[in-house]
This record gives sequence, structure tokens and C-alpha cells, in this order.
Amino acid sequence: MPSGRNRGQFKGGGKRNENNRIYSNPLPVLFHDVSPRPVRSLLSFVGLSLAKIESPECEGLFDPVTRSVWVINPQDSTILWRRGFFGKGDLSRSEPSWLARQKSQRKSTHLTSEEVRERRRLERKQFKLDRAQAIAAVAAEAEAIFAAEGRVITPALSGPSIPSAATWKPTRVPEEQPNTEAPIAPEPVAEDEDELEDLEHLQLTLSEAFFLIWNFDCLTVWDSVTHELMSVESLWNTFQQVHLQPPIPDAPLQPLQLDNPFLINYMAYQHYRALGWVVRGGLKFCVDYLLYKRGPVFAHAEFALVICPVYEDPADQKSSRTNLQNATPFSWTWLSTINRVNTQVQKTLVLVYVTIPSKSRVPVDALHTPAVLSYFSVREVVVRRFIPSRMRD
Amino acid sequence: MFAPDTHPSNEALDALITKYPETSGCLFQVYNDILYAQSWTDVRVVDLGLLLRGAVKGRRDTDTDTVYVVPCALAESLSYAWLQNAFKALEDPAEIYLGISADDSSIVYYKLSAGIVKPPV
Repeated sequence: MPSGRNRGQFKGGGKRNENNRIYSNPLPVLFHDVSPRPVRSLLSFVGLSLAKIESPECEGLFDPVTRSVWVINPQDSTILWRRGFFGKGDLSRSEPSWLARQKSQRKSTHLTSEEVRERRRLERKQFKLDRAQAIAAVAAEAEAIFAAEGRVITPALSGPSIPSAATWKPTRVPEEQPNTEAPIAPEPVAEDEDELEDLEHLQLTLSEAFFLIWNFDCLTVWDSVTHELMSVESLWNTFQQVHLQPPIPDAPLQPLQLDNPFLINYMAYQHYRALGWVVRGGLKFCVDYLLYKRGPVFAHAEFALVICPVYEDPADQKSSRTNLQNATPFSWTWLSTINRVNTQVQKTLVLVYVTIPSKSRVPVDALHTPAVLSYFSVREVVVRRFIPSRMRD
Repeated sequence: MFAPDTHPSNEALDALITKYPETSGCLFQVYNDILYAQSWTDVRVVDLGLLLRGAVKGRRDTDTDTVYVVPCALAESLSYAWLQNAFKALEDPAEIYLGISADDSSIVYYKLSAGIVKPPV
């Protein structure tokens, strides 16, 4: 059997190396060190560096309606996704791939992750139909035997004649079908392809946007309504204001509160990003955030975070106008549900307790700068179900 | 790529965004996802005064029946009365979809049926 060193450009090691090359920068900023090697090693021994920082100057637009920052420049969007997995395409699963999917609908080329997912779902649907048919056939056979001989057989729900997930294989459908039966005629589409506008954008959450601005200064944000440049200070205040009132133009400013959802989410986001994790949203798994070691393209997330805000002073909670999620202890059934969902997908559930300082401890105007974060603290508790009969170690 | 003020969906949604500003974000995200990503046909918006939001209706490409999607944000708490109002406002369809959207533009859809439904297979 000839060993396939060049089995295919994108099989096995090829795809991994390709990903290692494309996603090699974990942060949007790049470091260039042009000093000679001996100088570099001598300085690094002492903990110094002459590296120059190159920061991509990305631009974003703040949208109060969706409470997010939009990146509409394709180059900026690619940079932010590839260097650190920031943002999400608003019409895609993760990376903005809507335009690629539209183009590949017209001709079959390299599949995007959404198309792989669709194919998997169709195959699973077919498997379920086949299995149901097989079970019905076995039941009908048992009925026939009873009618003919009076012998009672319980129809089996598994066995050699009934497909199981491990043994079922999809029947190969001839490849010409999608092209010949395509509802869109090929000629008019050839012209449309050049004029096909990208209706998608990269959407950054407020936490991601502020993290990039404050720590790396690689993003400038403009207000989408007034078209003015927003300073770091005004961004900090605006990001809190959007959670205190609906996006009505010219609404009066509300007094800032310590239990603002933006502060709590940002605290947790900053904490884990600073530790080197890639933090993404966890809506699909009933949790707040997912932690990836390197990124979604490399491996599945290991940890699922649920943020539980805790008030240092219970009186603050009673007087609060904000209805914070998970601020009251949740029931065991809910905890079991979330744990079960995440155990099924092999993720470990982590409860992240963010402590909201009491109002008496914090000066009134501290909320207007990120310095207020120093009053918050983050603790984590890992939850794992313990089954005494099975876990004896 | 379009900016928020020049987005093509603004024309269809502006009236409802102004009327119900609290739920405008989730309506915008669900509408775009249904129209452009899920590629439903005959997509229209419906004003649900009872729930103080707009809803989206359309046809999935494989079916011919009109289906309703009610958008809501992750931070909202829904009660049974709210769900009953949803069915009532849409004139009692057999099932509705709930589109739950998050800030990062992820959306999960839940199918709610009025009554018990046997699994298809």
C-alpha cells in the first residue's frame, strides 16, 4: 500500500498546517524585532525587548439597536477574526462566510462549515427515516407471523436488520443532480455574481470591542448615527448606558450603576482573555461563554462558563432596578440541566462568581472609568457530576 | 458590507424599530437571519401589539405553509401568559418559532406547538 504523503492538500496534516499558518497570531497586534540575534537574546535574558508593535488600525461602527460594534471593512474583519477570533459574522456560524456560501451555491467548491453542517443534518434525517422504516418492517413481520401461525414475537428495536448510528451509511446520490435540478438558471446568475453584495458584517460584542480598544488600541469606533469618532471614555459610558435604557434617540442619560450587565460581562471576558483563553458566546449550550484553548478552528471548547453575579451588599440587590440574570441562586434542576447539556458535548461546566462591590465602598464617579473594575473580583467553581457507583477513585 | 444606517433591511423594519425600541435589536437580527442566512421566501414583518414587538413570517423553502417567528432577547424572561399571548396575537397557529438572539448575533430557534406533538420518526 503506497503511503500517501501527498494524499491531498487539505487532508490530515495539510489542513492542520494550513490552519497553523493562517491563525498563527493570537492577537491583532504584531511584534517586529529587527535587532541582531545576540542583542535579542541578551536583552530577553534580562526581560527586555526592542520589538516594535504593529497595530492594525481597524474601524468599527457602534450600533445601539443591536448593542454591538459592526466591522464592515472586509480586511479589518479578516484581521480581527484571524488574529484572536474576535467577533462573529452575523449571517454565519462564526467566521463571516455568507458571501462564500452564496457563491458556492452557484458552483460546488470548497465547503464552508455551514454547508458541512447541513450535509450532516440531511444524512442524520435520512438515517432516522431508514431506521423508522426498518422498525416498521420488523413490526409488520411480527404481525404477519401472529396472523398466520398465532405465534407471538416481540418486535425488536435493535438488531441485525435495523440500522444503528454506527453501522448506517448514506447511499451515494449521483452528483449531477444538484446542477441539473438547480432552481436558479445558470446564465443570469453568472452576471449576478460580480454584483453580489456582501450583506454580512463582523459583529463584535461590546466586551470584545472594549477589550480591543483599551488593551491594544487597534480599533477606532464611530457612532453610526452621528458619524462622530467616539473616545475611549465616551465608549465606556455609552456601553453602560445602552443597558440602562432602550435605544431611543436623544433619551436622557441614566445614572450609572455598579450592577450593569456590561460591567459584569466585561469583567469576566477580560479576566479569561488576559489568561490567554479565546472567549466566545455560549448561547448554543445554555451558557454565557465558551473557553477555547487556541480557537474554534483547532479544537472544541473545553469549558462552558455560567456567570453568577453576587452582590457584596444584599441591600444593593433589593434596591436595584436592573434584573440581573443568575443573580439569585438557581435551582438544582436548572443546574443539572445545564450540566447535563454540557456533559453530553464533553465540556466542563464552570460557575464564575463575579462579586459586585457594595455602593458604600466605591466612590460615586468611579463608574465613569474602567478603574472601577478593580473593585470587582472573579472566582470560579468547577462543577462535575459525581456518580458514586462508577467513580471509585 | 453595510453600515447600520444604510443596511437594506432598514426599509422594512424602520417603522417597527421606532415603535418598539426595546425589542428592535432582536427583531433586526432575526429578520436578517431568516431572510438572508436561512433564505426563507415571502418574508414579511408583523406587528404584535400584545407583545410589544414585531414578528417575522415567511415560508421555509421546503414547505408551503406560512410560519411565524417571534424574536426575543436572551435577557428577557418569558412567562406562560406571554407565550399564550404570542399564540393569540398570531391568531392561533398550530406552531410558532421563538428566535432567541444574543449580543454576538447568535440566534437559537425553538419550535413551540400548541398542544402535544408526536415525534416525527
